[in-house]
Amino acid sequence: MLDGVSRRFGEVVAVDGVSLMAGSGRILGLIGPSGSGKTTTIRLILGALAPDRGRVRVLGEDPRFFSRRTRERIGYMPQLFVLYPDLTARENIDMMAALFGLLPGRRRQRIIEVLKLVDLWEARNRLAHDMSGGMQRRLELACALVHEPSLLVLDEPTAGIDPLLRNRVWEELHRLRSAGVTIVVTTQYVTEAEYCDAVALISEGRLVAHAPPGDLRRRALGGDVIEVGTRGPFDIRALGPIDGVVAIRQTGPARFLVVAVDAGLASPKVDDAVEAAGGNIEYSREYRPNFDEVFTALVTADRQHTQPEDGAAPGGPPPPIMRPR
Amino acid sequence: MSGGILGAPYRAVRRRVIGPVKSVLRVTAQVRKELIQVRRRPGAFFSLILGPFLIMAVFGLGYTGVRRPLETVIVIPAALQLPSDPTYYQTLAGPGINIRGVVDDPTQARTDLARQQLDLIIIAPPDAADRFRSGEQAEIAIEMNSVDPVNAAYSAFLAQTLNQRINEEIITRAVAEGQAYLLQHGEDEVSQIPPEVIAKPTTVAVANLAPSTPSVVEFAAPAALALMLQHMAVTLTALSFVRERHSGALELFRVSPVTSFELVLGKYLGLGLVSTIIAVISGVLLVGVLGVPLLGNVWLVVAVIALLVVSSLGIGLIISVVSDSERQAVQLALLLLLASVFFSGFVLPVQEFRQGVQLAAYALPVTHGIRLLQDLMLRGDTAALLQLGLLTLQAVAFFMLTVVLLRRTLRGA
Repeated sequence: MLDGVSRRFGEVVAVDGVSLMAGSGRILGLIGPSGSGKTTTIRLILGALAPDRGRVRVLGEDPRFFSRRTRERIGYMPQLFVLYPDLTARENIDMMAALFGLLPGRRRQRIIEVLKLVDLWEARNRLAHDMSGGMQRRLELACALVHEPSLLVLDEPTAGIDPLLRNRVWEELHRLRSAGVTIVVTTQYVTEAEYCDAVALISEGRLVAHAPPGDLRRRALGGDVIEVGTRGPFDIRALGPIDGVVAIRQTGPARFLVVAVDAGLASPKVDDAVEAAGGNIEYSREYRPNFDEVFTALVTADRQHTQPEDGAAPGGPPPPIMRPR
Repeated sequence: MSGGILGAPYRAVRRRVIGPVKSVLRVTAQVRKELIQVRRRPGAFFSLILGPFLIMAVFGLGYTGVRRPLETVIVIPAALQLPSDPTYYQTLAGPGINIRGVVDDPTQARTDLARQQLDLIIIAPPDAADRFRSGEQAEIAIEMNSVDPVNAAYSAFLAQTLNQRINEEIITRAVAEGQAYLLQHGEDEVSQIPPEVIAKPTTVAVANLAPSTPSVVEFAAPAALALMLQHMAVTLTALSFVRERHSGALELFRVSPVTSFELVLGKYLGLGLVSTIIAVISGVLLVGVLGVPLLGNVWLVVAVIALLVVSSLGIGLIISVVSDSERQAVQLALLLLLASVFFSGFVLPVQEFRQGVQLAAYALPVTHGIRLLQDLMLRGDTAALLQLGLLTLQAVAFFMLTVVLLRRTLRGA
């Protein structure tokens, strides 16, 4: 999809050599801090911006020269509210459906469907400027979905939406994915990376990581993580080297985390080593850190990697949750 | 039907039919949006209709077309022995000049003139009789204090008229005295031609062959209608794309399958419909209420109005596309209005400008609109077919230019 793409705005490099691939019928999440280049990437994907370097291909075409039929296959929800404030919810959706070439009969049916989907059926005759921020986001989502696109590009669709509705939005996105729709979505909620098939982590215009969520977690932690609890205090310094274990970190008097290449193979060996060192295992289970921790670890590691002379980036980012032993 | 042997041709035909149908849907969606937005602001709609009409009505009721007579003092030096009765000179001067008094010393009159309490001083030459006898012209001095060139020219014209009347009076009296002298000395062959005829051998009989003789207000009404329609259409559209660019809607248009041609056509049809409704209502009010003559073919008048509106919508959309902000769009629209007031023939005849400026004036749709509407409404016909052609050409050219500019805006990221 994106191959070594860069885009500058004056002196500011908004996107720097990003390469990405969104598989057909999958959800690609673009995650990164505010101002990291997510929206610029989205605009490059849609052809609203031309790259300074690199190549973009979407649905087999250069986005700047999308054919009309290809454009009809794309749904886009911008980050800000861009619809007409003096039109009602229904009128806005109707307008967008017509722009995307939906014929009248099908249009009426789809308007009802998407209004119900985003929970705006009761507010269908309310002017957009009389709606709350969350309702406006839902209205934009409805406009992006109304023509049943095969590629859906959503710029922070869940921003400002309450958690219950956010879950419904993700359920709908998963339903669309099941129907073969490819979805590119940016989100400010790092935890929503879990809902994606692949995650592209963008920081300061660069692609920090691009992998399925599980792989990202493994990469952030250095491998699988096993959380071990003992009956009574246990000092990890009593343990010798264990085959397949990358690192061990004490997290409490009777609790520690083990990073292993493969949790399934390493877990019995860790149990044995602890018992041999006089410890009494209370529990041993896979540890799944939330994506806030994964995100922080990956970005910090990337900054250390790209600024080796200075060490950590200015501002003192938090350390990775595990370090090699 | 879509499968088998007929499948491919059917799909090709379907594509060919569906494509234009979708185009129509996109355009009508724009039109509907524009009409809904106007419907949601009925106050703005009615102010667009009633505002210009009320201004015209107040103008019509309040403007008399009669100039205030020029306050004038005549200075007759005592040595001249000319009449000192103001009524005598008032009869000569006519209604354009009000003879406030006849004095023999100009000092006080000059003070009043300097204080702008007086418009004219007419000073008779003290040596008039001597100069006449020696075969020379005497000079009547006229003094005024006006910075308004139109007013100055008007004052000079009235003073010249008064001078002519005085000359005629002198000749009449001289002829009468001469004839009386000859009769007293036994001359029988004295001309029987009356002295007034010798002094004024010709008079003027004015016949205006124009099909109507409108009042000042009625004459100005078609021009005001044209100017109002251009400004309304430009204002309606000037903010259009600027707002959509700033709201981000243009970003959606970039991604959507809608073309710049469809977008511009939608705007033209939507806002054109609104403008046409306003134009028709304004025209009906002008003719029906203010009594402005409509001598020409109504449909030709409607066609001119439509062309004027379409051209003006184009200018408004061009302003909208090239403006970076709403403020800039409003400023450009006001500049256009100012240029139109000065150069379109609304105030000063286009022919009085230098040729280069005239060319610029003809780039304004309202220049053609004023000429054509005045001709069609007040004369019943027009000889300015070239201007009709130019207005049509402008309507097409501005539309194409808007499409090109919008395409560059949409694809120029």
